Amino acid sequence: MNLALFAFIAIVVVLLLLLAWALRGNGQHEESHSNWKTLEESGRSHVSFLPQMRQALKSEDEGFLARTGPSGLRARVNRERRRVALSYIAALRQDFEELMRVSRAIAALSPQVGVGQEFERLRLRASFLWRYRIIWLSLQTGFAPLPQLSDLSNLLSAYSVRLEEAMKEMGERAALVADMVSSPDRRRIHPI
Amino acid sequence: MAGLTEYVRWLWGISVVIQIWVCVVLFLSGNFRRISLFTGYVIWNIAQAGIVYFTYIEFGLRSRIALEAAWMSQGIAQLFRVLATTEILRLILRPYRGIWALGWRVLAVGFGVVFSLALVALGTNFRWAIVVADRGFHLAFGVALVACLLLVRYYLIPVHSAYKALLAGFCFYSCTVVVANTVGRLLSVQGNPNSQMIWQLVTIGAFTFVSILWATVLRNPLPEPHQKGMPPDVKGTYQEISSQINERLRRLDELLSRWWKLEAAQQ
Repeated sequence: MNLALFAFIAIVVVLLLLLAWALRGNGQHEESHSNWKTLEESGRSHVSFLPQMRQALKSEDEGFLARTGPSGLRARVNRERRRVALSYIAALRQDFEELMRVSRAIAALSPQVGVGQEFERLRLRASFLWRYRIIWLSLQTGFAPLPQLSDLSNLLSAYSVRLEEAMKEMGERAALVADMVSSPDRRRIHPI
Repeated sequence: MAGLTEYVRWLWGISVVIQIWVCVVLFLSGNFRRISLFTGYVIWNIAQAGIVYFTYIEFGLRSRIALEAAWMSQGIAQLFRVLATTEILRLILRPYRGIWALGWRVLAVGFGVVFSLALVALGTNFRWAIVVADRGFHLAFGVALVACLLLVRYYLIPVHSAYKALLAGFCFYSCTVVVANTVGRLLSVQGNPNSQMIWQLVTIGAFTFVSILWATVLRNPLPEPHQKGMPPDVKGTYQEISSQINERLRRLDELLSRWWKLEAAQQ
């Protein structure tokens, strides 16, 4: 009986916390919006630095520095490379979150939302965050996970392609509606 | 009424007065037109208090008729609660047809699954059947409502604070009933003589608190949740970035495609 009591109290606490979070103001959204602007102003996506990142994390460089560089240089370079790589994956995540945000806005505007598509997006997000955490941990512990880094960037690319298709479809639909509105017989307009 | 303690009688009286106040506020502000099912819910709660009071006076607190009247009227109140909540969510999600279509399914599935599990958990314990079923209902209601609100937040849909307060009130009350039913049952099984009083004080107290909250937010006419065109947040984002994002995604895609080719060639 006590177990049931604790279980129900725990469920209620979780529900109330989720309720409070769900009903919280949308200040976070505004912040996210401003982040988007910053990204746009920067003019390029963070994914574009992948070749440099790959180059920077190559193990051959490490070997070369160990052979020819002064003592301590290799460790220092490794530390610096790790710091840069961590910043890079954090930026990739930021890119991904922005794409997610835009896709949610598109879904909200759409007259039909596919449950399968929405779950697919959730799955994609979970997958991205999982890889992100693995790479983050690997970098923190001193490993340089090149294959995983490529996977992460790949996922971001695949997602952006899907998003583009969705936006193209919406654009076509909007053009269709515009055509219908401009047609002489407006009584038969059924845009959606 | 002899079975009710003085505290409970007072709190019950205050609760009924506040519910009448909520009803008056609904009509004075004109909100009864916009949220008619919610108004129905409030009116039914007042009527239920009258029915229960009458049966307690006529047949006694522990009589079978009083018990049946209380729980049957409670069943109708639950139905009104579900309808009122759906009405408010419908108002919020009206401009978002796709999200509403997803939202009411989430509400139905969430409610159905949790309520079914609660009924399965009932087992053969028929002595506590009504209390456990009532707890199951409130739990299912709370889960479904929170799931819907999470969906609203996920899709960045703006919700006016008045509607938030109405929904939060429903959810808070349901959560309190879940805890009160569980604690009340535990105390009763342990033979605590005050178990019923504690249960009554907690549930009536929570409903009184929620009624005060509703009366406060319903004083002014509710804003029109339906926004012409797109919601401001989504509209701003969409218009600003729709052309930019296509360009950016294309560039991103081209760059990646080039790198993968280069890498394949190197390997």
